[in-house]
Amino acid sequence: MKLRILIADDHEVVRRGLSTLLQTHEGWDICGEAKDGREAVEMAKQLKPDVVILDVGMPNLNGLAATRQLVQQNPSQKVIVLTITDSDEVIREALDAGARGFVLKSDAARDLVSAVEALQRGRMFFTPRVNDMVLAGFLDKGHTGSRNESPKVPQLTPREREVVQLLAEGKSSKEVATVLNLSTKTAETHRSNIMRKLGFHSIRDIVVYAIKNNIIQVQVPSHVDDRESSVVA
Amino acid sequence: MTVRILVVDDHPVVRRGLTTLLGGRPEWMVIGEAQDGIEAVDKANSLKPDVIVLDVSMPRLDGLEACRRIRKSVPESEVLIVTQHDSPQMMREALTAGARGYVVKANASRDLQAAMEAVSQHKPFTSPNNG
Repeated sequence: MKLRILIADDHEVVRRGLSTLLQTHEGWDICGEAKDGREAVEMAKQLKPDVVILDVGMPNLNGLAATRQLVQQNPSQKVIVLTITDSDEVIREALDAGARGFVLKSDAARDLVSAVEALQRGRMFFTPRVNDMVLAGFLDKGHTGSRNESPKVPQLTPREREVVQLLAEGKSSKEVATVLNLSTKTAETHRSNIMRKLGFHSIRDIVVYAIKNNIIQVQVPSHVDDRESSVVA
Repeated sequence: MTVRILVVDDHPVVRRGLTTLLGGRPEWMVIGEAQDGIEAVDKANSLKPDVIVLDVSMPRLDGLEACRRIRKSVPESEVLIVTQHDSPQMMREALTAGARGYVVKANASRDLQAAMEAVSQHKPFTSPNNG
C-alpha cells in the first residue's frame, strides 16, 4: 500500500519542488497539497494522510499551530516540519507541538526523503544540525538546572495564538471571525483578552509579539535594512 | 528556438520547483543551476544563457548585485528576478539593476510562464499586483 503524503506550503513553486522530489520515490503518493496551515488541517481530516509535511511560515495558520491541531485531531499523525528558521525556539515549539521530523528548507533536497523514510519506519528525523542543537540544549540544561526555563510570560491559548497571527497579518476582528468561523463579538473578546493578558495597547504591539514568538516571520532583504520588510510565508 | 535558462536560488527545493514549472514548454531548457550570486555570475559568464531566473536574498552575493554584474559582463543574457519580496521598491531596484522581469514567488505558478515568454523576447514583465 502506498504511503500517502500531504504537503503544505504557501508557495506553489516550493510545493512543486517538494512534489517532484518525493514523487520519484517508489511507493509514495502525494495525496494533497495545501497552501496554508488551516487548509492542511482541513485536508488531513478528509484525506487521512500517513505523513504531513508543513512549512512553518504560512499565512492564516502557521505550520507550528497546524502541527498542534493535526496531532490533537489524530495523536498518531506523523508530521514533518519544514523551516527556514533554525532557532532553538522554533525547534522547541515544533517538538512540543508533536512534530516527529524537523528539516531545514535549505537542506530539504538532501534530507526530506530520509525524513519521510524515517517516519515511515516509525522513527523520528532531525537534521544533524538540529540533533546537535537539541543535544547541546539537553546537556546544557543538565548542567545548569533551571537556567533555561522560560521566563514567566502570560500563556496564550492555542486559539488566542491563532487570533494573534491573523491580527498581525493585518486582518480586522470581522475578518478574524470569518476565518475562524466565530461571531465578530467572540473574535473581539479574544482580541481584548490577548491585549489584557499581554498588557498591550495597540496592534503594533501584537505584530511585534507575533514576530518575536515566531507566530509570523519577517524577511528583511540582506543588503539593506531601511526598506519596507515583508511578512513571509 | 530553444531558450537556454540558468536557475538561481539558494534553496535546492525551490530550484527544483522552478525547473518543474519551466519544464512544461519544450523550447525552454534549464542548462544550469546556481545557489548564490557569485556562482550565478560565474555560470552566466561561462554558459551565456538566454535568461537567468534569479532570486534576490541569497548568501555571499545577493541577486541585485549579481544582476548588475551579469548585465555588465553578459549583456545579451536577460535577467528575470523571482523573489519572495512583494515590494514595489524592491521591484524598482531590480529593474534599475538591469532585470527585464520581476515575479513574486507567491505568484510564480501564475506568472512564471508569461514572464519567461516576455523576457526571452527581451520584453519587460512585472507581476500584475506590482505593476
